[in-house]
Amino acid sequence: MKKRAISVESLNYAYPRNKKALENINIEVFEGEKVAIIGPNGAGKTTLFLHLNGTIKSPQKNVKIFGKSIGDMEIGARIREVGIVFADSDDQLFMPTVYDDIAFGPTNMGLSKEEVDKRVSYAIEKVGLKGLENRVPHHLSCGQKKKVVLATVIAMRPKILVLDEPTANLDPKSRADLIKIINELNRKEGVTIIIAMHDVNVLAELADRVYVLNRKIVANGSPREIFSDFTLLKANNLDAPDVFKLFKILSCLGYACENLPLSFDEAVNEVLNTIEREGIISLRASEQTHSAIKEIMNNYSGVWTEGYGKGN
Amino acid sequence: MVFPRIDAYSALKSPIHSFDPRAKIISFSILIFSFAFLNDLKAATFALGFSLFLVLLSRLPLSFVLDRIKVPLVFFISILVIMAFTVEGAELFNLFGLSVSSEGVLLGTLIVLRALAALFLLLLMLGTCRFEAVLKALYMLKVPGVLVQMLMFSYRYIFVFIEEFLSMKNAMESKGFQLRGKSSYSLSILGNAVGVLLVKSYERGDRVYKAMISKGYTGNPKLFIKFNMKKSDYVLASLLISLAFCFHLYPVIL
Repeated sequence: MKKRAISVESLNYAYPRNKKALENINIEVFEGEKVAIIGPNGAGKTTLFLHLNGTIKSPQKNVKIFGKSIGDMEIGARIREVGIVFADSDDQLFMPTVYDDIAFGPTNMGLSKEEVDKRVSYAIEKVGLKGLENRVPHHLSCGQKKKVVLATVIAMRPKILVLDEPTANLDPKSRADLIKIINELNRKEGVTIIIAMHDVNVLAELADRVYVLNRKIVANGSPREIFSDFTLLKANNLDAPDVFKLFKILSCLGYACENLPLSFDEAVNEVLNTIEREGIISLRASEQTHSAIKEIMNNYSGVWTEGYGKGN
Repeated sequence: MVFPRIDAYSALKSPIHSFDPRAKIISFSILIFSFAFLNDLKAATFALGFSLFLVLLSRLPLSFVLDRIKVPLVFFISILVIMAFTVEGAELFNLFGLSVSSEGVLLGTLIVLRALAALFLLLLMLGTCRFEAVLKALYMLKVPGVLVQMLMFSYRYIFVFIEEFLSMKNAMESKGFQLRGKSSYSLSILGNAVGVLLVKSYERGDRVYKAMISKGYTGNPKLFIKFNMKKSDYVLASLLISLAFCFHLYPVIL
């Protein structure tokens, strides 16, 4: 049986003089899992993350990392367990050079100079930015900054990696690089990944399980379960991946597909498999097709429905 | 984005550039203090000449040096003017009923010469190595950590703030706002923008602190630094320091 990496039990939090930011949060993440937390803007994702590494301490001691309350741990022990990549890179690169920034965490752990050097070169190699050690952070591009931030956290070798909007504002190549790095850390080194993101089109590549957070935990399930529940998505300003929606439409046109694909790669595989199996993919419309399509469009993206059907 | 960086020419090669940052800070600081306390016009002229010689030696482009020096120069000149009119002494000439004293002119010139000499040295100290090398040198010289961290964060975030302000300015101008307007309306808009920048920086400070805490910050960051003092560094440093003393000792000896 897998170890429980994170367990949060009935966590509440309110900012001073503000309404509640988090209400009765229950989360359980097992070692080696990849979990996404999605939700509308201002749902409390960042606040929740600040609890996970003890930056905000819950007086009830109900945030436990590998069974121990994170608030009671020494700061050195805490950063060995949980590393956080926050949304804004400039907030996290505060030292004079890239080297100093990556060395910051390991140095605070009290490691020797040699070990710190080793950690820095390991981390910078992991994110593919070898040779940039002596650069000044404000001379880096957005994508490079994000990778350096990831390196600053990787250098601490945390067992759990928490990422807040890691793919926001990145060009497609940097985004793909980042996803690859994160997945490699999970697969090769068994790092538990918790990730907050709005980009539903790449979510399936990064998460085995999804929590929907909107001050409370609204839902919890596999990406496919969550994306199938359109009422849930609508109520929380969310959306399903484009590919998923397209295959829903295709199913109205007679393309039967057992598991609707969630990402582009899955969709390509699905189509290729079908064509190999049956030799042909045929789409057809019946009397109910239009109303069925209209219903799906309605359910998933209310915005489009006005446009749809005008051509008929 | 091009920023007016003090260390824009830190990659040049010259005796001043290759001078160890720690030795540079110590010997240049001593020289600056020595120059600032000169009381003799001849000595001050010689001091200015010497610092100009060092500037030439450093191969810093003249345009860069002038650009850096022009704002303080306005300040120095105004001191000269004020001194000339306010210090009492033998009248040199009369300007619309205001007398200019020769003592005032001499004192003002002395101040300007001393200040310029010190300013050139300061520019050399900061302009001939990367700014983080200066910070690390200060850290190694046991300057209080709080001060070094304040300098470090100012230097790191000043560029972020410039960028933030410029993007705000762009946003304002793309909606038709003109910064040049002198009306109270445009001034109040500018005031708002500066206010927003203050609030933003306060909030950023909070986020930076949280990011630091999450990497185990406890108040005393350690820096690992690779500086090696070479023989030439010791020679140059002792040369400069003894020169600093010579400037004050020669009237006694001669």
